[in-house]
Amino acid sequence: MATYSDCLKGEGTFMFNVVSKKTPRLDAEAKVKGLEKFASDIALPGMLYAVVLRSPYPHAEILRIDTSEAEAMGAVCLTPDDVPDVLYNERGVSIPAKTYRDRRVLPRKARHYGEAIAAVAAESEELAWKALKALKVEYKVLPPVLDPIKAIEPESAQLYERVFFGEEEIAIKNNIACEREITVGDADKAIASSDFVVEEEYELPRVYHFQLETKSAVCNPEPDGSLTIWCTTQSIHNVRILIGSIFGIPLSKVNVKKIPVGGSFGSSIQMNSIIPICAALALKAHRPVKLVSSREEDMYDHCKYPSRIRLRVGVNKDMSIQGVEAEVLVDIGAHQIQAYPLLGSMAGWLVSLYKWKNIKYRSRAIYTNKVPACAMQGYGNPQMNFAVESHVDLICEKCGFDPIEFRLKNHVGIGDEFWGQGPTVRSIIKSCGLEESLKTGSELINWKERGHPINKTGRYRRGIGLARGFHTSSAGAPGPAEVIDYSGATVKVNEDGSVDVLTAVMDLGGGTWDAIAKIVAEVLGLPLEKVSLSPVDTRTTVYDVCTHASRGVFAGGGAAYKAAQEVKRKILEVSSVFLQEHPENLELVFDPKRNDAVIRPKGVPFKSMTLGEVARNAMVTGLGSIAATVSFRQKTCPPSFVTNFVEVEVDTFTGIVKLLRAVCIADCGTPINPDGVKGQLIGSLARYGGYALCEETEYSEQGRLKCEGFITDNKIFTTEEMPFLNNIVVHFTNTYEPTGPLGAKGIGEAAGNSVASAIANAVYNAIGIRFTRLPITPEKVLEALRGKEA
Amino acid sequence: MRDKLINLKINGKKYQITVKSNTLLLNLLRELGYTDPKYGCGIGECGACSVLLDGQLTLSCLTLAISCDNKEVITAAGLSEKDQLHPLAQSLIEHAAIQCGFCTPGMIIAGKSLLDKNPNPTEEDVRQYLRGNLCRCTGYAPIVEAVLDQARKSKS
Repeated sequence: MATYSDCLKGEGTFMFNVVSKKTPRLDAEAKVKGLEKFASDIALPGMLYAVVLRSPYPHAEILRIDTSEAEAMGAVCLTPDDVPDVLYNERGVSIPAKTYRDRRVLPRKARHYGEAIAAVAAESEELAWKALKALKVEYKVLPPVLDPIKAIEPESAQLYERVFFGEEEIAIKNNIACEREITVGDADKAIASSDFVVEEEYELPRVYHFQLETKSAVCNPEPDGSLTIWCTTQSIHNVRILIGSIFGIPLSKVNVKKIPVGGSFGSSIQMNSIIPICAALALKAHRPVKLVSSREEDMYDHCKYPSRIRLRVGVNKDMSIQGVEAEVLVDIGAHQIQAYPLLGSMAGWLVSLYKWKNIKYRSRAIYTNKVPACAMQGYGNPQMNFAVESHVDLICEKCGFDPIEFRLKNHVGIGDEFWGQGPTVRSIIKSCGLEESLKTGSELINWKERGHPINKTGRYRRGIGLARGFHTSSAGAPGPAEVIDYSGATVKVNEDGSVDVLTAVMDLGGGTWDAIAKIVAEVLGLPLEKVSLSPVDTRTTVYDVCTHASRGVFAGGGAAYKAAQEVKRKILEVSSVFLQEHPENLELVFDPKRNDAVIRPKGVPFKSMTLGEVARNAMVTGLGSIAATVSFRQKTCPPSFVTNFVEVEVDTFTGIVKLLRAVCIADCGTPINPDGVKGQLIGSLARYGGYALCEETEYSEQGRLKCEGFITDNKIFTTEEMPFLNNIVVHFTNTYEPTGPLGAKGIGEAAGNSVASAIANAVYNAIGIRFTRLPITPEKVLEALRGKEA
Repeated sequence: MRDKLINLKINGKKYQITVKSNTLLLNLLRELGYTDPKYGCGIGECGACSVLLDGQLTLSCLTLAISCDNKEVITAAGLSEKDQLHPLAQSLIEHAAIQCGFCTPGMIIAGKSLLDKNPNPTEEDVRQYLRGNLCRCTGYAPIVEAVLDQARKSKS
């Protein structure tokens, strides 16, 4: 068995100077010294501290808020009367015409326990809390709607009467937020005439992102009428545009700073609910205001989309799939953050997994009085992957097929169409490492020795499982789509030949900024230390939609690649003056001896200038700065394919499932940061190990989180739940994506989508019980074992 | 709620400071500009606020500042010199054990505390000692590896 540390097959096999090499993170030193400034670390002179009053009921009208006592204490108070009467959607990724808007900065009706309904700001945090306690709120308590099945019954209370879809005001009936149906061919007929029909329903839990940094914001009204914002976000430009449009501020006068994010996993794609509250307080107080969420408040702010997925699949004896019928029900909680594109994307993940031939897909998103759900590493893909990859194993078990042969025969691959972000974002697959992954992975885990559950006895039973998945790189597509996807970058050469890169792309911790710097260094023939990412904000950068959809490297890096290419062209043009050669006869290459970029006539190494010499000469002779800014849209959405093989051990006395071994195989094209790719894969083992085995945010009948803000009661993986170091293997397949920057695809979400599916399949291989509902807790294992015995 | 004057040494610098009886050590440190201990939960569950208090691994979010009179606090920022990183910090960088970095200062403090007590830990020792420090990004493996590697290096 290869070990954790000697597993980088891809490294050294590429002809790159910087890209695909292991390099220490650019921000590593600041992070280990604890000097990195996150939003909650920002402190401004004269700053007020804000705290938020949250609804003690899951469903209640706010009739009156008496702020007089709090104001007498010197606090600045914010109630629904103080905020603009604007309905907005916090996520600026879908085009406006396909965006549902149901949210107000502070609502007149609370739709989930813990929803923000008022806020105060004061000179100290202590005074702010005292003032908050002095607010008197009169509620009209309404019956809560907690079960998505009951929610659609006519006698259930209604969360909304009307919301906006684009500019159109529409009625909401029976709490159905939105629906999508997609039909290809005639699935009913195809399934009816198949040799085998396999049907099952799967259920995925509501889990919390648990990014380490709770949502925070600092807003500062500037003397020129502008507003500066430091906040937890995956998109500074989305915050700029939303704050500007909600508060009626010109977009040039909202400036959002690019700062590090303490983890996100999708929870800050949208503008977090506290940001406009903080902005409103700052505008009202004419003072800087800081708002930091507590962990419990953060748990009441966002979660993953819980889903029920029913699949009915027709298969013939020759292992060919004839058709699929899928019904999807998503309990989205109190607001539509991105449910409509989610339903489209879930259809895309389904159709892009296997060649179903005939497809009948029906999906519904239901409002309930619970925490609003949003994207979380995979955006419906882990949910759909769990259903489909469990179902594929079920089909193979029932029909006597080999699970690897079945996958190889039916998977979507090179030359097929991939839906990267729902039905309007499609492109043709040009690179795919799935076949190699299945072959290599099955050897690394000893797939053939896994045995059959019937033959496994004793207290501890081991099982091996596999699942394969993918995720898109960006929402790029050949033409306009329902989803906005473009990025931008500025690259400029300094007078010593060092280079600054200005990009609005956020790094959520995965190393996107390193990747961007490495791509620019590679194109310009520079050592990495000569490329710096500038501290920037929305004023100094061109638009980038968001670091989501695994697009940071592919689309953000793609824009930086384009800008660097443009700068390279200009460097050769300027150099031609000094070297007395036509630009087309010149080349820009990395010179290892000088550890620098040099420009020289092709094939004439002795007649060369370093980039620094060219830039200085350009300054002295007045030729000007060498720089370029681009705004760039990727025209494809290539999937990264990831395959997970795992071994588990089930303790049949306690019901505890241990993750013993894991083989993670990634096809991400060129791994720009090999350590970063590895980090995504191993991090995903922990996150999706938790998804499979322990994580769920359960609700009481009163609509409150049962964990009440305690992490221990909503357990995530710690060091102790992970496999030991020698039992984690990471392997990169040998692929190159022709449409990606230097061959790269995005890995962030692909890394996690099939982990829980593989674990559930391994549990089946250990004890012969198929769990169709996650998480597979000890209680559920014991109950199922007892049921099996009886 | 009485105020109290306390003497406190933070990362080698002496402070004489008046604190309220309910001021938490975490908040005091952050107000003084030592923002490397992070607020992650406020109830001792995540370890992001870890500091060394007179050499003992301590959750600063559960510690009252007045209880720290005449004591010495060391945060992650205090472990690394201006131009010299703490060897464990260096090891975390080499093993790519840092992603978002929010848990990192607490993780370094906990790792150092372990190595102070047990310079030759097994992998199981490291897993057990660090289980109170949550990280959502890395999957812990590179962190555990960095601590073990540092132990090996300081032996040789």
